[in-house]
Amino acid sequence: MPDTAWHIIEVVVMLLLPLLMAGGLTVVERRLLGQLQDRYGPNRVGVMGEMQVLADAVKLLGKEDWIPPFADRPVFVAAPAIILMSVLASFAVIPLTSGFAVADLNVGLLFFLAMSSLGVYSVALAGWSSRSKYPLLGGLRAAAQLLGYEVFMGMSLLGVVMMAGSFDLSTIVEGQRGLWYVGPQFVGFVVFFIAGLAETRRTPFDLPEAESELVAGYHAEYSAMKFGIFYVGEYLGITLVSALMTVLFFGGWLGPILPGWTWFLLKTSILILVVIVVRAALPRVRYDQLMSFGWKVMLPLTLINLLVTAAVILAT
Amino acid sequence: MSAVDPVYALGLAGVLFVLGLLGVLVRRNIIFVLASIEIMVNAAGLAFLAAGARWGQADGQVMFVFILAMAAAEVAVGLALALRIRRRFNTLDVDDLRKLKD
Amino acid sequence: MTVLFYIAGAVAVIATGMVITRRKAIHALLYLVVSFLALALVFYVLGAPFVAALEVIVYAGAIMVLFLFALMLIDAGRAEEARERDWMRPRAWIVPSVLSAALLAEVVYLLARGGVPGRTAAGAAAAGGAAGVGGAAGEAAAQVKAVGIALFGPYLLGVELASILLLAGLVAAHHLTVDLDSEDGETAGAADSGAPGRTRQKGGRP
Repeated sequence: MPDTAWHIIEVVVMLLLPLLMAGGLTVVERRLLGQLQDRYGPNRVGVMGEMQVLADAVKLLGKEDWIPPFADRPVFVAAPAIILMSVLASFAVIPLTSGFAVADLNVGLLFFLAMSSLGVYSVALAGWSSRSKYPLLGGLRAAAQLLGYEVFMGMSLLGVVMMAGSFDLSTIVEGQRGLWYVGPQFVGFVVFFIAGLAETRRTPFDLPEAESELVAGYHAEYSAMKFGIFYVGEYLGITLVSALMTVLFFGGWLGPILPGWTWFLLKTSILILVVIVVRAALPRVRYDQLMSFGWKVMLPLTLINLLVTAAVILAT
Repeated sequence: MSAVDPVYALGLAGVLFVLGLLGVLVRRNIIFVLASIEIMVNAAGLAFLAAGARWGQADGQVMFVFILAMAAAEVAVGLALALRIRRRFNTLDVDDLRKLKD
Repeated sequence: MTVLFYIAGAVAVIATGMVITRRKAIHALLYLVVSFLALALVFYVLGAPFVAALEVIVYAGAIMVLFLFALMLIDAGRAEEARERDWMRPRAWIVPSVLSAALLAEVVYLLARGGVPGRTAAGAAAAGGAAGVGGAAGEAAAQVKAVGIALFGPYLLGVELASILLLAGLVAAHHLTVDLDSEDGETAGAADSGAPGRTRQKGGRP
């Protein structure tokens, strides 16, 4: 049955591709940060340092996997699994090219929002189950940050949904044949970019895991591969957010000459690089600044964007 | 409409509601009582949805959205009260919270 | 599709059973989240994809996180387990179980007798089978739109009232916990951890 085989290929590709990209990102980011900070990144292992991924993986696998005796064992082990599951599941609805998505849900965008809501648990539970001061504080802060910015993330996408008329990601990409949504929905794009950074706990919003402030925050007590999962999970999150921005604002697979998936990967990669540059450029935001910025600036912005979009759609 | 007979969904709602009721009756910890109430509210929402699916109208889903909003407000206030109770009386036992005045 | 419903329903029932019988509150919470996720799947099978997503986003993703927050702040520690074991003697379960079983028996009897008005049990099976094949995609898209139109049309007053209700809940929760820390010096932070400017909390460096 070619249909089933095709499905299996889709699943395998959408599983391997993000994982490979996230794995490669661990090195790419460090080298790019190095360039921006006038130093070399890792360049010893392999020709240009790319085998560092393998070296890191082997190191993490070989470390002692120690669970603190005072920790709540089942929850402690489950927390990294939750984030990995939710991020990988979100990749199921992203269309690589026309007709190539693991699950072309008609509420695809809502599914992504649902999965990101579940990701909040991972952070909060990781902090709590460690039963230790710093992780608990980090976990609570992270959960509050994630919850708040999740609201704006959802609302910033409503403009796109209104313009496309559907929650289906393939339909949204198709609707951008004339003009990419980043033009009319620029405010929405900016808000989604910022909210996406906050949701994946990237600088400038990485206070929950700040090395200099909270001793690595909510994943302080995690070692070896569980930490590896959090680590790669963060890069997976960046890949996911970039892929979503490509689909929602930059026309997904649309583009002349080259095949669809090439455009998709190209756009996603550029956005990932932008995210990394943002990390190099901006300082960390203080927690109360972060929350007040979110609720006092972003929320009104998204609401106004919603109103204006609705008014324009009604008028035309 | 739906791929499954809404009557079975109603049955599921009934079972879940009864389980939540059991939780409210048996547990003494106020947090568990609140969680059991949530189970009951959710089961009621499922019943609304099943009814909407049976008649093929969107009204069931609309009702569920309202139930969602109500549950959110109720949980917020309920948990605030639970926190207050914990700090004031240093207990979470519903059986100990018998009097309005100290 | 029907198989999915039965599996999801079974998961929901089992998870709910685990919720009411756990000793540690966090474990019960997590089982409750699992139950909600299973129910979201049930909603999807019932032809309500929008509500299924809402259930996960709002209920499992926000309300339960609120529960988690509150639990973290009411941190009971080791004493909790011993207390719960003490409270949950098997004897306490007898009468409530009997009463609940009686209720459940009534409900099941009513439904099995073809209790949904306008159709018999046989007619129900036929209608369910026919609708199942056509079911999902096109219907669901129309449903999402229909919900939106209904919310902005006949149910507009309900939406406004719901927003007022949420505002009331917000104000009440804030007011109830605004001076929580002046009671005693327990764990950090007031319940409304999202409020900026509450610098009285968190005894150390923020």
